[in-house]
Amino acid sequence: MSAYNGNWWSRFYARYGLSGRFALIMLVFFLLVPLLPGEFWTHVGTEILILGLFAMSFNLLYGYMGQISFGHAAFFGLGAYATAMLFTALKTPAGAIGVPEFLLSLLVGPPVAALGALIVGFFCVRLTGIYFAMLSLAFGELLFYIVFSWYSFTKGDDGIQGLLPPLYFQDAGNYYYLTLAIVVVALLAMWRITESPFGYIMRTLRDNQRRAAYLGINVRLHMLMNFVIAGTFAGLAGALWGPFSRSVSPGLLGWQESGIAVFMTLIGGAGAFIGPIVGSVIYTMLQAVVKMYTVYWPLTIGTVILLIVLFLPGGVLGLIEKRIRLRRGEAAQAMEQAASMAEKP
Amino acid sequence: MDIAPYALQLFSGLSRAMVLFLLSAGLSLIFGVMNILNFAHATLWLLSGYVTFSIFTFLSEQFGASPWMLLPAIVCTVALMSLLGFALERFLIRHTYERELPEQLLLTFALVLILGDVIKLIWGLENRRINLGVQPIEMLDTMVNPYQFVIIGTGVTVAAGLWYFLHRTRFGKIVRAAVYSRNMVSALGIRIPMIYAMVFALGVGLAALASGVFLPLLPMSLGVDHDIIVQCFAVVVIGGFGSMLGTFVASIIVGVVYSFSILFWPDGALAMIFLILIVVLIWRPWGLFGTELRY
Amino acid sequence: MAAILEVTDLHKHFGGVHVTRNVNFSMEEGEQSAIIGPNGAGKSTLMNLLTGYHRCDAGKVVFEGQDITNWPPHRIARMGISRAFQVSSIFAKMTVADNVRSAVHAQMRRSFDIFGSAARVGIEETARVLELSGLGAKHGLVAGELAQGDKKRLELAIALAGKPRLLFLDEPTAGMSIDEARGTMELVDRLNRELRLTVLFTEHDMGIVFNHARKLTLLHRGEIVVQGTPAEVRANETAQKVYLGEHHA
Repeated sequence: MSAYNGNWWSRFYARYGLSGRFALIMLVFFLLVPLLPGEFWTHVGTEILILGLFAMSFNLLYGYMGQISFGHAAFFGLGAYATAMLFTALKTPAGAIGVPEFLLSLLVGPPVAALGALIVGFFCVRLTGIYFAMLSLAFGELLFYIVFSWYSFTKGDDGIQGLLPPLYFQDAGNYYYLTLAIVVVALLAMWRITESPFGYIMRTLRDNQRRAAYLGINVRLHMLMNFVIAGTFAGLAGALWGPFSRSVSPGLLGWQESGIAVFMTLIGGAGAFIGPIVGSVIYTMLQAVVKMYTVYWPLTIGTVILLIVLFLPGGVLGLIEKRIRLRRGEAAQAMEQAASMAEKP
Repeated sequence: MDIAPYALQLFSGLSRAMVLFLLSAGLSLIFGVMNILNFAHATLWLLSGYVTFSIFTFLSEQFGASPWMLLPAIVCTVALMSLLGFALERFLIRHTYERELPEQLLLTFALVLILGDVIKLIWGLENRRINLGVQPIEMLDTMVNPYQFVIIGTGVTVAAGLWYFLHRTRFGKIVRAAVYSRNMVSALGIRIPMIYAMVFALGVGLAALASGVFLPLLPMSLGVDHDIIVQCFAVVVIGGFGSMLGTFVASIIVGVVYSFSILFWPDGALAMIFLILIVVLIWRPWGLFGTELRY
Repeated sequence: MAAILEVTDLHKHFGGVHVTRNVNFSMEEGEQSAIIGPNGAGKSTLMNLLTGYHRCDAGKVVFEGQDITNWPPHRIARMGISRAFQVSSIFAKMTVADNVRSAVHAQMRRSFDIFGSAARVGIEETARVLELSGLGAKHGLVAGELAQGDKKRLELAIALAGKPRLLFLDEPTAGMSIDEARGTMELVDRLNRELRLTVLFTEHDMGIVFNHARKLTLLHRGEIVVQGTPAEVRANETAQKVYLGEHHA
């Protein structure tokens, strides 16, 4: 049963896997979201995309390189603050900003986050496992407290307010499509990276760091490069967040925010490329719905995470992947049986 | 030179250190023996605080208000929370031993969220504090809260008790051996699952004790656990996972540094702690007193 | 022929335990030799020292005229030294093909390439190594699910993908059936002959050692006790005592 003989759908699966199919389906839905009445779902959609990008950047470190970082939100926050500050500097005293200036302010988020990731990563890649997790958490918290207490520069706990995009992008649908375009391009870039030789070297670092060193791989340097790439994409997500929510606050850098990326990745499945986006869809929509009825959102998501850790560690996509493989295994077995029976006289 | 403010800060630093120690000792023990980093440790501490408050209030209503009602309240809370800890290990945490690190972390992270909301459900949003009606006394030309003596005394006593327990009792020695090698301990015929459950219960019990001691000093409120847990992580890492001496020393370092930082850089006091944590992790990841094994 | 590898006065201790003492030996290009010795003699430690996994406390390791003492493992690997581990050390969640292909990418110095497509780089070389190691048919299997013997083959394949000039094999036939072991050693012989690949392996199986090694080095308690051709070592009294347990360093 060769996938290449099947229809284009199974050929697509053979080339791009489960993630590809999901991505395609989701893209169709994403394109149609603003057509829903009102602005609520468009807002939710934008949030799904931005936080989904953030979670995807986290998974570069976790699913592909095997390290868990509890300080990843620091780069999300750095990107958000860099954009917010340039935005504030470029806007008129009345609070308006032109489109070119707006785009320029978005552009400054990723490089600042990348610089932060370079410095933090330089130290973090010297460790692995729980120590990597702890050090990344420590750096994240350090950056959080610096932003929190440096009032003269960052406005501390007050945050930076008044990030009103240009008139054209104040329309929720327009901002949504801008976000969608940027996120799709970013995801294509990430796909290229994860399917490149570098991407597979990352997987070797995940599976067996020692062996990778014996292949001639400078482990620390490769980890640092991945760390910076992940930080850059997180910064891009952060840059988009500020004008979307009209403000930024120090909490964007904290470990609770990092936790969101981890949750989304876990829910969707760290083993699949598009897992974090799927996780973002489930997480964000669940949050939107639950918060309409009750204030006990932490209880809800905590229970969901608990159940997933105990019963569904591969996430939603992991479960589907397993089912598909089982069915293929059964089909292959059935064909073998049929073939061997046909041979009997 | 007026030493009063410095003495005051040292003093409050030490009492802060003792609270941190009581809280971090359990965390360190749990990680040292079971390799589980219990994110929910501070949340269990917070829960204990609310429980202690409720029992204290109940006893005060039944038997008349008196600061001495705090003692039975603490005892009851420790017992209840230890039981809860036992149950948590037995029914939830146990399933993650075979799993990867991130899944273990996420399980306890999930407990932070769940228990936090449980507290909100039962006790609502208001702070809880106990006023023992203790008058400040004058020392070194300044007013000092004598309850801080109680805290310091409790901390030192518990530290001594823990040391005795770990070094002189059979169970304690088994626990220390398990920090080094759970396989060996298992091979010696000792039932590891039971040990784990009891260690976890002990850790949570210590946290409960910490909360009871803390209650008359500062109010318990939602969200305090989020701030404190990262400080506990700092203490445990700086001191070294699994080492009680390390936890004690690191608690003092963190507590005193925090107190003195308040004098010079109030907003950045916590940043100082994280700076120390970062330096330790880079220079000596297994901490001041930890052993260079588990990774 | 110039010596491709020269080891001088190698010394290593862990705490108070000296696991390697005064080790001196050399290998010529194209040589295929074995290190033997009872359990705990320090064979694997020696291999670890030579490949940069441990730091030497004293001594020198020179490869092709270059002093590589205490170099980190990845630098040593890039010099053209590859190693296969005693306990199969592979990339368990990746397929067999991906395992070898990544090793090929590393050898091609394409490990930082984020723009190319991994599925299209180094394909011929990957296929060649897979065929050579007998894993061609199994290229799509997940490495962690392989049978033990296949894992060993994959282990060797990964080491070969690095196009080494010096190959260290730590107990290459451990856990294999007689047929598998023979097949593996025949492959090693062929590589040694056709590519002039210098091979140093450790072994417990004396039959394999006598049939496939030109020179033997007997290690006991971290020290070299005897060195020579298999016949010489077999006839040596000290060697016999070591194996019978009567020799004390």
